[in-house]
Amino acid sequence: MVVFNEKELMAKEKMNTPSFVKTIWREIRNDKMALGSLILLTLILLAAYLSPLFIDQTALTRVNFFNNWKPPSADNWLGTDDGGRDVLGQLLLGTRNSFTIGLSVTLIAGVFGLTVGLIAGFYGGIVDNIIMRIIDFLMVLPSLMIIIIFVVSVPKYTIFGFILIVSAFAWFGKARLIRSRALAERELDYINASKTLGTPSWKIMFFELFPNLSSLVIVNMTLTLAGNIGLETGLTFLGFGLPAGTPSLGTLISYARNPDIVQNKWWVWLPAALLILVMMLCINYVGQAVKRASDARQRLA
Amino acid sequence: MLKFILRRTLIMIPQLLVLSLIIFLLAKAMPGDAVTSSFMSNPNVTPEQMEKMREKLGLNDSWYVQYGHWVGNAVQGDFGQSFTHKQPVTSLLAGRVGNTLLLSTGILIVTYIIAIPLGIIAGRWTDSWADKLIVTYNYFAFATPLFVFSLLMLFLFSFILGWTPIGGSVDIRIETGSFDYIVSKVKHLILPVMSGALLATFGTIQYLRNDIIDTKLKDFVKTARAKGVPESKVYTRHILRNSLLPIAAFLGYEITGLIAGSIFLEMIFSYPGLGQLFIQSVMGRDFTVVTALVMISGTAAIVGTMLSDIILSIVDPRIRID
Amino acid sequence: MSLLKVNKLKVHYPIRGGFLRRVVDQVRAVDGVSFELEPGETYGLVGESGCGKTTTGRAIIGLNKATEGEMLFEGNDLAKLRGSDRRQHTKDIQMIFQDPYSSLNVRKNVLNIISEPLRNFERMSPGEELKRVQTLIERVGLNPESIYKYPHQFSGGQRQRIGIARALTLNPKLIIADEPVSALDVSVQAQVLNFMQEIQKEFNLTYLFISHDLGIIQHMCDRIGIMYKGRFVEEGTAADVYNNPQHLYTKRLIAAIPEMNPEKRFEKTHLRQSINEAYRTDYDSYFDKDGRMFDLKRVSDTHSVALQ
Repeated sequence: MVVFNEKELMAKEKMNTPSFVKTIWREIRNDKMALGSLILLTLILLAAYLSPLFIDQTALTRVNFFNNWKPPSADNWLGTDDGGRDVLGQLLLGTRNSFTIGLSVTLIAGVFGLTVGLIAGFYGGIVDNIIMRIIDFLMVLPSLMIIIIFVVSVPKYTIFGFILIVSAFAWFGKARLIRSRALAERELDYINASKTLGTPSWKIMFFELFPNLSSLVIVNMTLTLAGNIGLETGLTFLGFGLPAGTPSLGTLISYARNPDIVQNKWWVWLPAALLILVMMLCINYVGQAVKRASDARQRLA
Repeated sequence: MLKFILRRTLIMIPQLLVLSLIIFLLAKAMPGDAVTSSFMSNPNVTPEQMEKMREKLGLNDSWYVQYGHWVGNAVQGDFGQSFTHKQPVTSLLAGRVGNTLLLSTGILIVTYIIAIPLGIIAGRWTDSWADKLIVTYNYFAFATPLFVFSLLMLFLFSFILGWTPIGGSVDIRIETGSFDYIVSKVKHLILPVMSGALLATFGTIQYLRNDIIDTKLKDFVKTARAKGVPESKVYTRHILRNSLLPIAAFLGYEITGLIAGSIFLEMIFSYPGLGQLFIQSVMGRDFTVVTALVMISGTAAIVGTMLSDIILSIVDPRIRID
Repeated sequence: MSLLKVNKLKVHYPIRGGFLRRVVDQVRAVDGVSFELEPGETYGLVGESGCGKTTTGRAIIGLNKATEGEMLFEGNDLAKLRGSDRRQHTKDIQMIFQDPYSSLNVRKNVLNIISEPLRNFERMSPGEELKRVQTLIERVGLNPESIYKYPHQFSGGQRQRIGIARALTLNPKLIIADEPVSALDVSVQAQVLNFMQEIQKEFNLTYLFISHDLGIIQHMCDRIGIMYKGRFVEEGTAADVYNNPQHLYTKRLIAAIPEMNPEKRFEKTHLRQSINEAYRTDYDSYFDKDGRMFDLKRVSDTHSVALQ
């Protein structure tokens, strides 16, 4: 038998088959807008997540009525709110909270939607039929209204509770998408081969089928991440989002429900609104690049 | 065909039943009940009096008896009494539903007025500067959250430029029914409708552009060109006929989105419609109104989707799988 | 004792219709098929596309459910076994798939593809596993260094060899080869077929060889079953079927093989015309009133034909 260095070989073959991450990076590098979006997004998130290092959190929540509604100044770059709290600090903290929650919702809904979609697509037939009937129904529900009712009826309302409620209404589309691709994929012989080799169904679903759908999942997750952040901030804006005391970008924007603040104290809400807009655009631009990368990969395979 | 329509219609029945059950149970799960919310502001009512009231209203019956009553009444158009407004829910809704319908139809019409030409232009002249511009706009429409966009519109046009009224559905000082009244209504509608429509164009533009690009390359279009049909006729007779028909069918699918949108738009533009009423009722714990609103919205969405499915199956026979 | 005895196997698919989607009729993909495989032989299933040959193979390995009938593998009925009992026979029966492109998962390297059955059935250390895969991959004629490559880096013939190596991993007794070379270039077909014959002796394999190509079947098989519309038309040794076809359908099939010798071409054309003539006149004595085949009848020790 030939003696050879297997580690070296393995590395060599990995090089020959560019990973999805590499294809994405190549796509982004060649698209100035996407590259700019990625850099900007990274900067925003770095500032938001590193903010606790240089911002005193307790000072941020301390109410000081002598200092309220101060327009931007050297002390408070973006002014202060009704309780005299620094808007910039809340903006950073809010970005961090909103992004974390959007990401959690995307991941939880993603895992659940993926599992349901894989099950429906892999088994097909009656299982698929029942699951799809249920999803069809769930998709027409006025989910925003129901989420709001849930939020007011949950007794011990926490951030985690909020994440679960929103996730519960965010997985339908994903399940449907995964299911339709899985249905096509399961007709291919490598799935039949795995069955004849005695591989258990759950292993086939997650270790054979799933890797072939992974780029689809990644594309969908990046695109829905933006939507989920929008949903959280929107709900918080309406007053049915994060529990009081947890600032979100939506909290700052919700000051704008008062016309006086919209017009005369714009520094409280406008930066948050613009920041959301910028973040959404950036995430979507990166998401589009990821989508193109996955399409390009499809053409190669 | 008839079989498909019948089966599709029958699916609606269990859907409506499950919807009503979910809403009923949700309402039960909400803190407090009709009695506590109606006497919330009155400290003189004793617990015994409240208990008597509950007995009288049937709130101590088992949940399925209550559910039966609720569904039975709802089918006859009776959703009970609103506790904060002290009037029947049905008449409360009747006063508001016109505004929301006006807003939603406005959004739909403007959406199509913007989206159809843009979609056709982008699809016909792919990769031209106009196409690139439209694709960029569409990308913004997809990425921008409605409430942020509406706020910025409100800030810009009402507060900075002062072109449009700040809120409401009509100037109350104007006499009802006069010409000025209609003008005032339209003025109040412009901004919310534009805010909603400018973002809602996304789906239609994308669909039209992709579909036209696909159809352009089909053999039957090539045949038409080869026969010498002029380019403009190729589009009007052959491509657009295929691409535009399904758009009419998508109308019903839009309802779910319109309901969510109207909540944000009515809150931001203080527009007195059902969406605003919903938020006010949730805050005021006025459950009869809340359940009625969700039930009506859900029913509208279910019926709309059914109609869309049926129209689509008539327009595109490939969908009619049975 | 025979290795596999298939007895009156039926695979039916319901056709649903009407308002309530009741079963209104059945598609009889396989409609009462019986045959036996002796250890070490190659049995060929031939027929036009849609005749049920692939469905038969897939029912035996468990990819389709048998509606009725028995499939006795070493005396155990595969149709009735469930769960872990059925799983035991997974090791003994393996399959080679038609399309070497879709039958290998493009996201896995060769090592992971071939060791998949090992991980399901045997507890091996990664070292042992690697050694086993290398031995197999060498045996099927591929470079042992290629075990970290991905499927897209191989040619069709090489991919089919990987598929064969995967089927051999568990030391099966029976291999169902479903059109194993029809997706390959003609030049590569012979290589793969000869290789399959080599390993048959070496691993003491029994083949159920499914194909529509009469030439390949003649080259590979000891005994042959001809199928039409889910039923057997004729069964016998290769010599029986090719030299002495009894059923009209078989005669038409054999007559359709292109003649290489130009001098005999005219003769062949005549033969075809006379068979076609017979087909028109004697149709009723070969098919029953529903156009179905009759049950098989023995005409010699090895040869059976579906006649009235």
